[in-house]
Amino acid sequence: MRLLFLFLLLGAQLAQAQQAVLLDTYGTYNSTGVRRQVADAFFYGGLIDSNEISRSLSGLQKRNTFGLQMGLNAQWQTPWSVSKDAQKWGSSYKWVFNAGVQQYAGLQFSKDLFGLVFQGGLPYIGDTLDIGNLRAEATTFSKIGIGFGNKASQSTFVLNFVAVQRNLAASLSKGSWYQTPSSAQIELGLTGQAKFNRASGQAYGLSLDIDYRFGSADSTSNEQQFQLLIQNLGVARAVQSTSYSLSGTLQYSGYSIATWQQTSVEQLAQAFLDSLGFEQALVSNWILLPAQIQLSKIIDPESQQRLAAYYGAQFMLRQTYTPLVYAGAQLKVKQFWRTGIGMAYGGFGGLRMQAYSAFQFKRSQLLLRSDNCTLRNGASLYLQFRCDI
Amino acid sequence: MKMTSMRSFGILLVALTLFSCKKEATRWRTDWLLPVLHDTLTLNQYYNDSTLSINGSQIDVNLSRTILDLGLSDLIQIPDTTIAQQYQANFTVNNVSPGFMFVNSIKTHELDLGDIQLKKVRVSSGQIQLKVYNPLNTAVLYQIELPGVLQNGQVFVQNYTVAPGTVQNPTIATETINLSGYEIDLGGLQGLEFNQLQSKLTLKTDPNGQTVSIYNNQIFKFEAAFQNLRFDYAKGFFGATVIAGQEQFNLPYLDLITNGSISLPDLDLGLQIENGFKMALRAQVEELSATNTQGQSVSLNAPSIGPSMYLAPATGSWNTLQPSTLNLQFNQNNSNIKAYLENLGANQQVTYQLQPNPWGNTSAGHDEAFANSRLRIKMNAQMPMALQADGLTLQDTFDIDLSQDLQKSHVTAATLILDATNAFPFSCDIVLYFMKDGQVWHTVIADAQLVSALQGQVDPSDGLLKKKSKLKIVLPPALVADLQDLNQVAVSANFATTDPGTGLAVQQAVQAHAFLGLQLQLQLQTQIQP
Repeated sequence: MRLLFLFLLLGAQLAQAQQAVLLDTYGTYNSTGVRRQVADAFFYGGLIDSNEISRSLSGLQKRNTFGLQMGLNAQWQTPWSVSKDAQKWGSSYKWVFNAGVQQYAGLQFSKDLFGLVFQGGLPYIGDTLDIGNLRAEATTFSKIGIGFGNKASQSTFVLNFVAVQRNLAASLSKGSWYQTPSSAQIELGLTGQAKFNRASGQAYGLSLDIDYRFGSADSTSNEQQFQLLIQNLGVARAVQSTSYSLSGTLQYSGYSIATWQQTSVEQLAQAFLDSLGFEQALVSNWILLPAQIQLSKIIDPESQQRLAAYYGAQFMLRQTYTPLVYAGAQLKVKQFWRTGIGMAYGGFGGLRMQAYSAFQFKRSQLLLRSDNCTLRNGASLYLQFRCDI
Repeated sequence: MKMTSMRSFGILLVALTLFSCKKEATRWRTDWLLPVLHDTLTLNQYYNDSTLSINGSQIDVNLSRTILDLGLSDLIQIPDTTIAQQYQANFTVNNVSPGFMFVNSIKTHELDLGDIQLKKVRVSSGQIQLKVYNPLNTAVLYQIELPGVLQNGQVFVQNYTVAPGTVQNPTIATETINLSGYEIDLGGLQGLEFNQLQSKLTLKTDPNGQTVSIYNNQIFKFEAAFQNLRFDYAKGFFGATVIAGQEQFNLPYLDLITNGSISLPDLDLGLQIENGFKMALRAQVEELSATNTQGQSVSLNAPSIGPSMYLAPATGSWNTLQPSTLNLQFNQNNSNIKAYLENLGANQQVTYQLQPNPWGNTSAGHDEAFANSRLRIKMNAQMPMALQADGLTLQDTFDIDLSQDLQKSHVTAATLILDATNAFPFSCDIVLYFMKDGQVWHTVIADAQLVSALQGQVDPSDGLLKKKSKLKIVLPPALVADLQDLNQVAVSANFATTDPGTGLAVQQAVQAHAFLGLQLQLQLQTQIQP
């Protein structure tokens, strides 16, 4: 959704500008049920109060999500045409260079798992907990790319070389925890697998960023302008990932005195893992990058209308991310200041309010936005800056 | 405008800095109750091994231990011995034709066995290594015969054809032969001697070889090395050397007692000395003493401790062998056996002397020993399993490594919860001492007592008197904070057989099939710090 605003700015670029630099940074996290105070502790540190954990727990559904996205991107739209021959198609395109670093983390979890992790097993003695249906996806990658952009439509096409620094794809399809009412026995059943790629075993690949605009850019016409934005559509190849798998059940009721005397803790832990069918291997695998596809309406910044509507939808090629829809209205307060307010639903969170302000100066623009103004279980901040030279 | 852009960029940087600022670690608290131990301590493993036996509804201690056990191989040994026989011509013999026998001689070897005079032995295990040397420049046929060494009536004979050699580098042939089952007659030619072994060497030039000369610097010899010989039969005079010994052994668990006392029922302690050799024997138990963990020693005083006692030779042979025995009884009337045992001496020490043939070779060399001949000292005791304990304290120290990083997930509070079912007639108070290099840092006392079965009720399912107890041992926060420094824990258990009616320690019998069921759980409060 952040890209909606980027293109609000792009649309406002001065026609006579020869080149432009765009800086784009953002950080957002959200959850369908976990309260912001819990999540904040992971970013700002501190003790998570047990009351906050209880409140979060009471607000959770059977399936819940939590997600985080952070990134920094820089783009230079050069003054150099792809072709100097006016007869060729390349003459209407300029070279574009792009670089950035992004992080995506998404977690899908059950209410029972949240309770077990944040409260411990003691409150759940005698209860059967469903800790399955867990999915964790996290990717940190950087990219550098080259492409071309259409001078008139502002559409751009960039091919990036991608280096994945860290990637985790884990799922627990079945999981149960039961401690007998006498607390004498714990029964644990787990079925799942994970692939983990560390920084030491980097993965490399290619991705495509496409910004395609269609419709009319002129607000005086009745036709609207739309934007199809595809980012990070690509894959990377990890030569050395660690693969883990679990499939088994475990009944633990303590050990006899002789067993404690004759067996080391490491051996007991290994016996636990054996019971759960734990296996570990080094594998090579393909990593699907967290591609983002967005279709949105663009507001013409040159329009003299004081009030205009915006809307759009976005989804990502990630199972922990649910499709996002948003809609709102923009008010042109001054010639250089536009502000908007709207609602969003989906992504990592539920219904929430968003707001933004965009400032347009002679050769630069600045946009600040938050998607979590009210009704929120998260926080977000988007900063975008464009300088036309 | 340039200033405006710079300002905007500054705001961006500040915002990014704030967003990435993390002041302290993320953490939250969780509570767990984890099973740690489940076990049932019984005496079942001691039944039917002559230690414990069920007698009606009670248990009898039927203690039988062998303190000393010597066999034939311990008393009669032939040390590893090498015998050699050689031939060297006095002058040069020329033109020795093929197949010419030039040596045929017998030699008698004396074995040095001290004051033991053996006439006959049978080898149960051991070997002989034969080594022959040929310095002649033609092959030589060696025949080595040991006339006194027989198996199934056949004399030990070995033949070798040894390849040609030289004076400087004689050809050597070596072979190792297992002697198990061989009888060795050490009585010499007439059978009247002892410790004597004969060998016969015969040498013949190769019948298919060349004519050669035998020079006076050529030495023809063989060596026979007897190694690791053990016998299952011996006859002769077994000497009169005194075997003086001191045996020490530790009784398990008694070394853990640090305080208190017990009172035992009256009992008889028997000591049996067994002579399975056909020879006279003098036996002397010089001292029997025990030292407890407080360093207090008690010696067993009885008329039979100290003086020499004489045992007749065993009778019969092989399967019909009947050892002669001497039984010593220690009881309330003739010894301080009760005080000796109630001292709870973990370290037991026996000093003894055994002397074969105390009056010399009175059997005229007819001492005999067989495979099943033993010299034994056995101890046995029988009493009802009952005791009176008053503050009897067992303490044992264990190494621990409970170090935790307080900057990561760690335990902030812990409580040990013990559910016990006790069918033994004693109560128990538990104290834990957490130590660093032997220095006590924290003392933790259980909040309740493990109650004696005497205060319980009979369980109709098994007819046993039982009592359930629940103990909590709370590890205080200060102790938990010190866990990373502590490296030892001493568990002290204080036992008492207190009469529920009078509150006095009284003697209590242990009921048959008594057990102590334990279930230990650990309640933890942890601080998770990812």
